[in-house]
Amino acid sequence: MPADRPPPEGPSAPEDRSMLVDSARRTTEVEPILTVHPEPGVAKPNPILTMDGLQRSFGGLTAVDVDHLEIERGIVTALIGPNGAGKTTLFNLITGFDRADSGRWEFNGQMVTSPSPDRLARRGMVRTFQLTKSLAKLSVLQNMLLGAPNQVGERLWAAPFRHLWRNQERANTERADELLEQFNLSHMRDELAGTLSGGQRKLLEMARALMSDPALVMLDEPMAGVNPALAQSLLGHITELALSGVSVVYIEHDMDVVSGISDWVVVLAQGQVIAEGGPWKVIHDEVVIDAYLGRRRAGTAS
Amino acid sequence: MDFDIIFGNAARAALGPEAIILALAAIGLNIHFGYTGLLNFGQVGFIMLGAYGTSVTVATFGWSLWAGIPIGLFLALALAVTLGIPTLRLHAVMFAIATIAAAEIIRILIGSTDAIGLTGGPLSVSFDAGAFFDLNPYADGPQDRYGVGTFAFTGQQMWVITVGWVLVALVSLFVFLIVRSPWGRVLKSIREDQDAARSLGKNVFWYKMQALMIGGVIGGMAGVIDAIKTSGADPNGFRPQVTFYTYTALLLGGAATYLGPVLGAILFWFLREWIESFLRQLSAEAWLPNAVADFLEGSEGIISVAMVGLALVLLMLFRPQGITGNRTEMQLDAR
Repeated sequence: MPADRPPPEGPSAPEDRSMLVDSARRTTEVEPILTVHPEPGVAKPNPILTMDGLQRSFGGLTAVDVDHLEIERGIVTALIGPNGAGKTTLFNLITGFDRADSGRWEFNGQMVTSPSPDRLARRGMVRTFQLTKSLAKLSVLQNMLLGAPNQVGERLWAAPFRHLWRNQERANTERADELLEQFNLSHMRDELAGTLSGGQRKLLEMARALMSDPALVMLDEPMAGVNPALAQSLLGHITELALSGVSVVYIEHDMDVVSGISDWVVVLAQGQVIAEGGPWKVIHDEVVIDAYLGRRRAGTAS
Repeated sequence: MDFDIIFGNAARAALGPEAIILALAAIGLNIHFGYTGLLNFGQVGFIMLGAYGTSVTVATFGWSLWAGIPIGLFLALALAVTLGIPTLRLHAVMFAIATIAAAEIIRILIGSTDAIGLTGGPLSVSFDAGAFFDLNPYADGPQDRYGVGTFAFTGQQMWVITVGWVLVALVSLFVFLIVRSPWGRVLKSIREDQDAARSLGKNVFWYKMQALMIGGVIGGMAGVIDAIKTSGADPNGFRPQVTFYTYTALLLGGAATYLGPVLGAILFWFLREWIESFLRQLSAEAWLPNAVADFLEGSEGIISVAMVGLALVLLMLFRPQGITGNRTEMQLDAR
């Protein structure tokens, strides 16, 4: 597989892999977004993902109808909304797991012409799933190694010849061990992933996604079904990710969770973006409260 | 009741050409089903093309056997590609249906009267495998026997067996090498959850295709050995149950293990022949009531297949991982 991810660009390029980034950098990344006027579909200074006219219906139900949405690079963006708002469907469309009826989107400065999940992943857009997809009969370490990109040993002609991929495998294993250490999974390294608890699987899935040094990580309800203590550590990992220069989008139901770690919040209801802005601004937005509590119909009927 | 004869027969079947053919077919199926999770119910189609490709090249076109063997293997490869392109994107169940149908279509076409000029049609095709047996280092006189009692082979059989088991060993080694590599890891990830593999940047379709091709060509090798052993091919030898025998052998030995398909094939033929020989001896016993003896006589083969089937059911109930499989891995499915 060729390295078809374009060279990183912009001030938030993920060239720095360490999780220890000075706070000055953080300020330079987050500050521009604070100046953006909080209204649906607003343009951002340095978007990593830009969607236009994205639509998907299931029969008579319009699940996603996003006119224009930009996701800013290098920050944590939360995608919230009530049940059935179309959050996961939007995720599936962008990552190529579902086909849009119409619309187009641009990732990392390039138009997405044929949205296949594996190609997008190789370009640096990695997602996790609401129902965790840990590979049960592979060990935790094997799960991690699977996430590594551009592996020579994954090509059939090279597979029988260990010397061709041994060094790369060793380097990947070191990287995997570092990540497992960070995510408190080192003690489970050689266990089968199927023996992990639900929360540990969430951690594993997130750590595995990071093996490819992605530009954008999309987490579908990373906190769902995770006990409060583990959820706290997951939140910490998300913050650290953004600090290391990775752009993060995550789906969450609970607005209280969102306010703590998000730099920007996008609210989806009935498939449409009804509000976006800084967390405190959005949470007190009347339209958003209406969408959640259902006092009146938010947005126009589609 | 002579247990020496029973064991001799069983051991001969367990190490003979039939077990080699079954072992190769099961090794191929293990790549499909065991490692990639492809429900291939048409493995017999690959065997058939290997056998007929070899036979027809030599018998109909008069070419050398050494051209026939690669042609047989190429046809198996071609089947994998033509079958895979439209069906590998489908749901696993649809793929299974397509494979069983494809194998049957090929068998019916080969066995149709319209194909007599090419494949011999419903009649079997036969050719001279002399090119293979010219290389036979074993003395092959009418009196030459290798072994003891009923556990003995002729010189020609010894040559087929030697080449066959060496081939099984080489293919097993090859499969071991590719499956323990990162390539094999991708196959297993597809078996576990293909969407997860996709989300990690793996081209699932292409990996499935590679698996289908490799397993299919190994199935084709089984067909080539079959063609050489019988110096020909017969459409009736490639009915769907061949695939199911292959599954039985694979599950007996343990799917997704390196030695499972080989041990399973040996055990399958040992059990089948042991039971059949035992029943044959039993039906000749004087103390047996006539009704039972009449029932047994002539149906030993069918009953023995039924018994192997029963053994498989019991195995699935009490040791679902097969002989060599890992129990904890199996139990993860229940979670």
